[in-house]
Amino acid sequence: MILTGLLLAVFMLLGAPLFSVIAAGAMLGFYRAEIDLSVMAIEFFGLSEMPILVAIPLFTFAGFVLSESNSPQRLVRLSNALLGWFPGGLAIISLASCALFTAFTGASGVTIIALGALLYPALCEAGYEEKFNLGLITTSGSLGLLFAPSLPLILYGIISGVSIDNLFLAGIIPGLFMLVLLAGYSFWKNRHARKLTKVSGREVLAAIRESIWELPLPVVVLGGIYSGYFAVSEAAAVTALYVIFVEMIVLKEIPWRELPRIMRESMVLVGAILMILGVSLASTNYMIDAGVPERLFAVVDSYVAGQASFLFALLIFLLILGAILDIFSAIILVVPLILPVASQYGVHPVHLGIVFLATMELGYLTPPVGLNLFISSFRFERSITEIFRATFPFFILLLTSVIIIAYWPALSLVLLD
Amino acid sequence: MGFPWTDGAIRLAVLWLGLVGGIAASRDRKQIAIDIVTRALPVKVKRITDIIAHVFTASVTGLLAWYSLRFVQDSYAFGDTLLSDWPAWIFQLILPIGFAMICFRYVLRALREFIGPDL
Repeated sequence: MILTGLLLAVFMLLGAPLFSVIAAGAMLGFYRAEIDLSVMAIEFFGLSEMPILVAIPLFTFAGFVLSESNSPQRLVRLSNALLGWFPGGLAIISLASCALFTAFTGASGVTIIALGALLYPALCEAGYEEKFNLGLITTSGSLGLLFAPSLPLILYGIISGVSIDNLFLAGIIPGLFMLVLLAGYSFWKNRHARKLTKVSGREVLAAIRESIWELPLPVVVLGGIYSGYFAVSEAAAVTALYVIFVEMIVLKEIPWRELPRIMRESMVLVGAILMILGVSLASTNYMIDAGVPERLFAVVDSYVAGQASFLFALLIFLLILGAILDIFSAIILVVPLILPVASQYGVHPVHLGIVFLATMELGYLTPPVGLNLFISSFRFERSITEIFRATFPFFILLLTSVIIIAYWPALSLVLLD
Repeated sequence: MGFPWTDGAIRLAVLWLGLVGGIAASRDRKQIAIDIVTRALPVKVKRITDIIAHVFTASVTGLLAWYSLRFVQDSYAFGDTLLSDWPAWIFQLILPIGFAMICFRYVLRALREFIGPDL
């Protein structure tokens, strides 16, 4: 058992796709239990019985379209017109607009490429310190994971069986808390900044007019979701249709001939996620049958007593996990195992989800595989070490907020009934 | 809303999309994998580890394709239906096809690493 586990880990480290490693593990397990291996196909086919799954391709596609359009420019212009007069305003704008953009496009690094590339020169020009700017942009790339309709949040809901509406509600305060903490730091760090733009009614109007077509999107989608008017999959369909309508028919920013390419690119990502999801339906089922969560709990229980130390161990574990696995695979693989263990320690599944995702947000900033570090290093042509050093103060702040979110469940749970 | 089976049809479409996307991801080398180790390896060693990883993936997906085919055969033999009265095997056929194509992709890639880029 341990030997096979090690062998699979070796294949994983040699670069075999994660889905094949998971499938191999599940097949070995079923084989030993003398269960016919066509169970793999039956479980994989179970993907077609998951009702909310359709939200994944739709939101991914909408996010790809949005990041190919000029809506990042318009978002920056509008928020600058509204907030540029405030000390640290541009930094705070960057945080807020990146969070919004990430919530809609998923934290796949696209925020740094699409928005960061605009914000970084603007920040430099406005007289912010370069190191601060690098850190800020790199950090902002994964901010917003906790806000609806972020894909990781939806995926956690699908995997854990927790109501996605509750997760969307639970993410609001912790997400805002992280934002406010970073915004406060940006304000404090730049309290002596001189170059502030003046408020200009004309610029505000012009910026609003320019983004008039995109402004309804967050209002309709978020309003629809939070008021319970839309189900998640309906919100996803509305978003995808609306984004096509605005960017391709009204604004004509993306030519129709680009549509097949964008569809293909987004579906490659969806395929990669669904492959992992499909095979882990099988492996999860096997592990639950084999009583793995119970055994895991027994092991954890012999080292960890009480909820407080469990949460501590969980944070350490998730930090390491986030540093080596991408967020989607981490959710699909780990949530089914730790969910039952966490509930033994009295951790609410919704709270667990928020803690999980908040900690994963840090994983984007942790070497060796922190995605944001790589994308920033690639985009701004700096070494990973330099980027990491610039990100460090933000990392510490986020770590602090994650600890607070973990040990203060009410932050996540107060908005639920 | 609409026909009683639209919901089921959409969900089946997502499954198909997942597998077709999975085939495309294999083709584009965009399957999610851990590359911290292999990225740091020297080219010659990486070629060997790549062959091992590709052969492994090809075997696993080959098995998945084979057992999916058995699943589809069973479903055909039992006359399972989906979306009111459509034969289920039509919809399930994407499983063996998808896995077989992914398997093919990795066999090809392993061979290419083994023989060289001429293949």
